Amino acid sequence: MTLALSIRNLTYQYRGQKKPALDRVSLDVARGDSLVIMGPTEAGKSTLAATMNGLVPHFFKGRIDGAVNVLGRNTRESTVAELSERVGMVFQDFEAQLFSTNLELEVAFGPENLGLPREEIVRRVDENLRLVGLAGFKRRSPASLSGGQKQKLAIASILALTPELLVMDEPTTDLDPESKKEIFRITNGLCLREEMTLITVEQETEEVLSAKNVLLLKDGRVAGYGSASEILRRIDLLKAVGVMPPAVPAYFHRMGCESLPLTIEEGLKEFAARRWLISEEAYRRAAEKDERRVSKYGETIVACENLEYTYPGGVKALSGINVAVRRKEIVAIIGQNGGGKTTLAKHLNGLLLPSKGRVFVRGVPTTEQTLFELGRTVGYVFQNPDHQIFSETVFDEVAFGLKLRNMNDQEIKAHVEQALAAVGLTGFEHEDPFSLTKSGRKRVAVASVLALRPDVLILDEPTTGLDYTEQRSMMEMIRNLNEQGCTIIFITHHMWIVAEYAHRVLVLKEGQVLMEGTPREIFARQELAEAALSPPRVTTFSRALGKTMLSIEELALCTLTGGTSP
Amino acid sequence: MMGQEIYLERETFFHGLDPRTKMFALVIFFVIILYFENPFWVAPMSFLVLAHGIASRSLANLRPVRYVLLVLAVSSIILWNLFANGKTPLFWIIERESLSYSVGRTLILLSLVVEGIVFLSTTRYEELTLGLIRLGLPYRVGFAVSTAFRMIPMIVASTYAVAQAQRSRGLDLDTGNIVQRVRKYLPLLVPVFLSMIRSTNTFVMALESRGFGARKNRTFYLQIGFKIKDFICLACLAVLFTAATYFKLTGHGMIAGLQRF
Repeated sequence: MTLALSIRNLTYQYRGQKKPALDRVSLDVARGDSLVIMGPTEAGKSTLAATMNGLVPHFFKGRIDGAVNVLGRNTRESTVAELSERVGMVFQDFEAQLFSTNLELEVAFGPENLGLPREEIVRRVDENLRLVGLAGFKRRSPASLSGGQKQKLAIASILALTPELLVMDEPTTDLDPESKKEIFRITNGLCLREEMTLITVEQETEEVLSAKNVLLLKDGRVAGYGSASEILRRIDLLKAVGVMPPAVPAYFHRMGCESLPLTIEEGLKEFAARRWLISEEAYRRAAEKDERRVSKYGETIVACENLEYTYPGGVKALSGINVAVRRKEIVAIIGQNGGGKTTLAKHLNGLLLPSKGRVFVRGVPTTEQTLFELGRTVGYVFQNPDHQIFSETVFDEVAFGLKLRNMNDQEIKAHVEQALAAVGLTGFEHEDPFSLTKSGRKRVAVASVLALRPDVLILDEPTTGLDYTEQRSMMEMIRNLNEQGCTIIFITHHMWIVAEYAHRVLVLKEGQVLMEGTPREIFARQELAEAALSPPRVTTFSRALGKTMLSIEELALCTLTGGTSP
Repeated sequence: MMGQEIYLERETFFHGLDPRTKMFALVIFFVIILYFENPFWVAPMSFLVLAHGIASRSLANLRPVRYVLLVLAVSSIILWNLFANGKTPLFWIIERESLSYSVGRTLILLSLVVEGIVFLSTTRYEELTLGLIRLGLPYRVGFAVSTAFRMIPMIVASTYAVAQAQRSRGLDLDTGNIVQRVRKYLPLLVPVFLSMIRSTNTFVMALESRGFGARKNRTFYLQIGFKIKDFICLACLAVLFTAATYFKLTGHGMIAGLQRF
């Protein structure tokens, strides 16, 4: 067996950090294998990926111990550029890794650096754009592509260097479910066709089922390493590490089974073999809960009337939007990248004003209120907390909006304390916000909006870039706020979050509302695929059993085992 | 590394020129624009610039900055009066000569900005890099220069995002005098700066991972070369330059009776 990658006792500590990012990691990956690296944030996943093409130790500053051999070469003795001929690296941030003015030049950049003859470059450009399904867009500007297409382009531009080892660091985190699947289709195809080794850092377990091996990292150490079918069945281990377990085995684990099926097909067989049934009675009770919730809503607080928006360049982003949000609702806006979700949300607090039609906040058109006034009713938390944080302490950051509203010190203190308590950051007042994790910074951003005590809170992708544990606690916090009376509107790509937390779902496609309804209604409909979406795995599984269930817990409560076991 | 691009994908006579021709044209236009102070002598160049913009269909790029240009033009017409005196009073501190001078300066300013934008609208960064290399610069230097231009739209995009985030928290960027406004922009600087550093970091990693500087000799996918139309353009530029220099040296295009401070 020849090894593509061999890591021996690797310890790495970034300069200025107290703890090592990687702690005595050893790992062998055979040529032609596919490996998925999983783990919570700050576990050292990206650092480990960066060791494979020499970014660690050549680009980042820090102390390294141990050895990394890639395709028979010690990475300490080769530069990143030299290694790039054999090791390809795709990053999460697809905006930052593209820099050319059209697709063919983007793909040509790597081969140009290798000094290949032009005819060969032309061949590779055509071949790789075709491979990722972008052949028709050669002359387009990368900026005009959707998120999923951008990441495909990044992959094509790396493949043009004909790497033997391809490392991808969370390539699909910012993508909609369908784009995610397409990216995995491409990379799985690569694994089969060529003698290529593929290493992917990934958060979501469902996409990983087809990988050969899985490595779990926690606190810089290996927490588990083995075949995917073995690791993904170890539900307790996955939970302890902070990775969301795949739905099917998690359900059977919840039911107390020993042997766990992995895929939906296996799950259905197991369900039938055990002669389990779905309780009509329990299901009706679950569905009735949805209806009871509706009766508790208050008056309409935000509404769009024939909303249409055209960007200054002439691109129509929204048309014919008629939506009303009532007090105390939790509304999720979903749809593919570039479908108009953020554009719609920005209309609801007046950041954008309609080209046609009207948007009402508390019955008054947004065109007749200033952003300052609207900010009292509608708070908006941006996707990237780093676009907003600038203060030296968490307290100052959260107090910023209050000071702009000329509150006195006592009031400010009270508001800040309450907001920090709501996001679980009490005691962090004097910390530097930049020293917090991404999840911490997101919480600071939420707190700074919350401190203004808006009636409506809009959150643009509150869970993107967080790990499973952080996603859960972020959403629990949001649910708490809602129970205290706050109306919530959020944008997300995570379908399980929609299923478990949203009261109502708006599905946007190409700037129009494709569907609207409760998660149960929406996930039962076939048209979902048209908007590049698919239900969470547990829902797909339960639909195969005849009912639309929204969580493992719900499915478990509706399962009639009849006390029998095979 | 991506913001709204300045380059416009069009198929015009000017887009198809060799990047070196485009660079020569830019330099010669800049020099001639700066030769004269009398607006009647600056105006012909301004018309040429405008014609260049229309023929290359790149004036669309002026739209996003039209208000900035307007403010620039108005304040320039007023402010230059403070730096010049003349013999024929018109009103207040403004004389016929100083007004003429201000209009001339404003035309120069606008022509330079517009010609710069037209250049970037018709020239890809990659062409610019390649042109600079063919003129004898090392690849890394050429790449650095064009990367600097790449940064402009990116900074604009991230400033816009940050400004929106702060405005929605109640920061009012639209009222107050100049000092107050500048102070209000301070909270924007930190996030803009930090997000720039972050994405520049990824950009550099992406460059390295794509083999930047892996080999001594690099090849180019783009093909450039002088064609007949380049020679025609260069000849026209030479004639224009000679004529303008002749008029400049023989003292044309000045404003009689103007005193500058």
